[in-house]
Amino acid sequence: MIARSIRKSSYPVIPYITAGLPDLDTTGKILGALAAAGAPAMEVGIPFSDPTADGPVLQQASNLALNAGFTMDSFFHNLIKWCSSIPMPIIVMTYINPLIRMGMERALSRIKDSGVSGIIIPDLPRDASGVYRMCSSMGLDLIRLIAPTTGRQRAKEILSQCSGFVYAVSVMGVTGPRDELPDGLVKQVDSIKELTSIPVCVGFGVSKKAQVNGLLDVADGVIVGSYLVSNIMSSPDPVKAVTDAYMGLVG
Amino acid sequence: MRAYFGEFGGQYVAETLLPALEELEDAFNRACQDKRFNNELVSLMGDYVGRPTPMTHAKRLSEHFGLNVWLKREDLCHTGAHKINNAIGQILLARFMGKKRIIAETGAGQHGVATATACALFGLECHVYMGEEDIRRQHTNVERMRLLGAEVIPVKAGSATLKDAVSEAIRDWISNVDTTYYLLGSAVGPHPYPTMVRYFQSVIGNEAKKQILEKKGSLPDAVIACVGGGSNAIGIFSAFVDDPVELIGVEAYGKGDGMHAASISFGTPGVLHGAYSFLLQDEDGQVLPTHSIAPGLDYPGVGPEHSWLSATGRASYVLVDDKEALDAYALLNRLEGINPALESAHAIAYLATYALRNKGKTVIINLSGRGDKDLDIVLEAGI
Ligand SMILES: Cc1ncc(COP(=O)(O)O)c(C=O)c1O
Repeated sequence: MIARSIRKSSYPVIPYITAGLPDLDTTGKILGALAAAGAPAMEVGIPFSDPTADGPVLQQASNLALNAGFTMDSFFHNLIKWCSSIPMPIIVMTYINPLIRMGMERALSRIKDSGVSGIIIPDLPRDASGVYRMCSSMGLDLIRLIAPTTGRQRAKEILSQCSGFVYAVSVMGVTGPRDELPDGLVKQVDSIKELTSIPVCVGFGVSKKAQVNGLLDVADGVIVGSYLVSNIMSSPDPVKAVTDAYMGLVG
Repeated sequence: MRAYFGEFGGQYVAETLLPALEELEDAFNRACQDKRFNNELVSLMGDYVGRPTPMTHAKRLSEHFGLNVWLKREDLCHTGAHKINNAIGQILLARFMGKKRIIAETGAGQHGVATATACALFGLECHVYMGEEDIRRQHTNVERMRLLGAEVIPVKAGSATLKDAVSEAIRDWISNVDTTYYLLGSAVGPHPYPTMVRYFQSVIGNEAKKQILEKKGSLPDAVIACVGGGSNAIGIFSAFVDDPVELIGVEAYGKGDGMHAASISFGTPGVLHGAYSFLLQDEDGQVLPTHSIAPGLDYPGVGPEHSWLSATGRASYVLVDDKEALDAYALLNRLEGINPALESAHAIAYLATYALRNKGKTVIINLSGRGDKDLDIVLEAGI
């Protein structure tokens, strides 16, 4: 479902937003607005106290959401509503600890049963076959990341346990907007595409229309997170601000 | 090399770091077999760190508690704590790997000072992440690091303590993994760090065992050490694991209920900083704020091997609160003329409880560091 939606989209830019920022009601409205703006799929991040793969923007977003009272119960309560009212696939992004705390199998099935299409876990253990088996038996896409440092053998191993799309990390680093993306990125995307038939989407650092345009020449999709989330945090009207920012990238 | 201790440990990290962890494990394996590496390590441990450190029979303390107490004097290591054992070991490894930029985290500042010292010794670039709260609490160590030529980078995020400094160091490593060696200071983090840190700290236990056999002629009944991330404890435990010796780790009980750093006593298994281990977390899996008067113990996680030693019942983990630690700090000064780090004072303080049911027994305390760094805290607390 995720792969199909990305392939069908004429401008496959996938937004990432932090759930509960500034509150869960607004998150729902933002998702609705982004779907209406043509997003082929949407990533919703569960805020975490110690987001080691995130730069300052998403760290602050996590903090604000947690301080505003985010809980897993309220998240699931809202997630069901979002998934049933929004026609585009929703992808949950979460660090692994909240899942482990709930019990991996139980957490994944609660996510699946809420109507979610896929999940991204940036700190999966090296051997993720257990998590992959659970996801595939439930019909939940497990979207894996491939980094600039990932070798060919490891990339093959990852791709054999990955569905929906594969997330090509553009930069050596944490999330956050970058003025320029690395020169080797095109080659990196090409070399992943040689190994797989599922869509290859590029994320981390993207914040400009020119970057999106350039990336869509080589990749099947682009993920934009920190740039959108910083717009949510800086505006008194976050729904409008993030929709405008998104439209500015794809319009 | 095994990445897990039972179910604990592993490598739960961003994909970007996996190749670096592989490279590290490979280099560590090769270094362990390398004659020149080992010779250099042994010679630096002797001529620079000042090993072997003494084993002191604490006569007045023994009388006070009705026990036979021996102190393994890591406070007499160069730079004032056991942290230098690991810092020197890993700096040699960084050189072995050809890395020139060193990063580290620090809580009490002892690991930061040890790393900055090792970098000065070899002319390597050194950046130390330290929480703002710890920069305030351990100011003398901050000045020492600067004198040693290191850059101290304040971390404002979260509780601005050790946990947040580790997170920031991991982010730096993800961003500079090609050029940078992450010199982690405790037996925590993803594999191979817990195994590697134990290896470099096991010198404490190996010496202690030899010394107690020489001086007393028999094994001790118990070995007691404080547990922050668990490096000094695993270092001394490692030599006694297969012996009939009770192993006791002392966790920081802070101000008590909800204001402590006792991960094994009150935590549940989870993932923080790349490993599966006991963790202070809420019902949603968010990591909880911690408190200990000893900055080096103020951490919500613990090394995976300790989780395993606890789960298998081989070691027990007990509690000492801020006040007991402060009293023990004063007591050791008065009775033995030794000024312990507040971290190490937790291990001393447990003797009071241990003595209740073990009169006359022989114990080794790992005196992990000296307490000059803690004078401000202790005076502030009115001791
Ligand atoms: C003197 C001393 N003891 C103990 C610790 C706690 O660390 P670990 O549990 O890794 O030995 C520290 C940490 O800073 C320390 O400085």
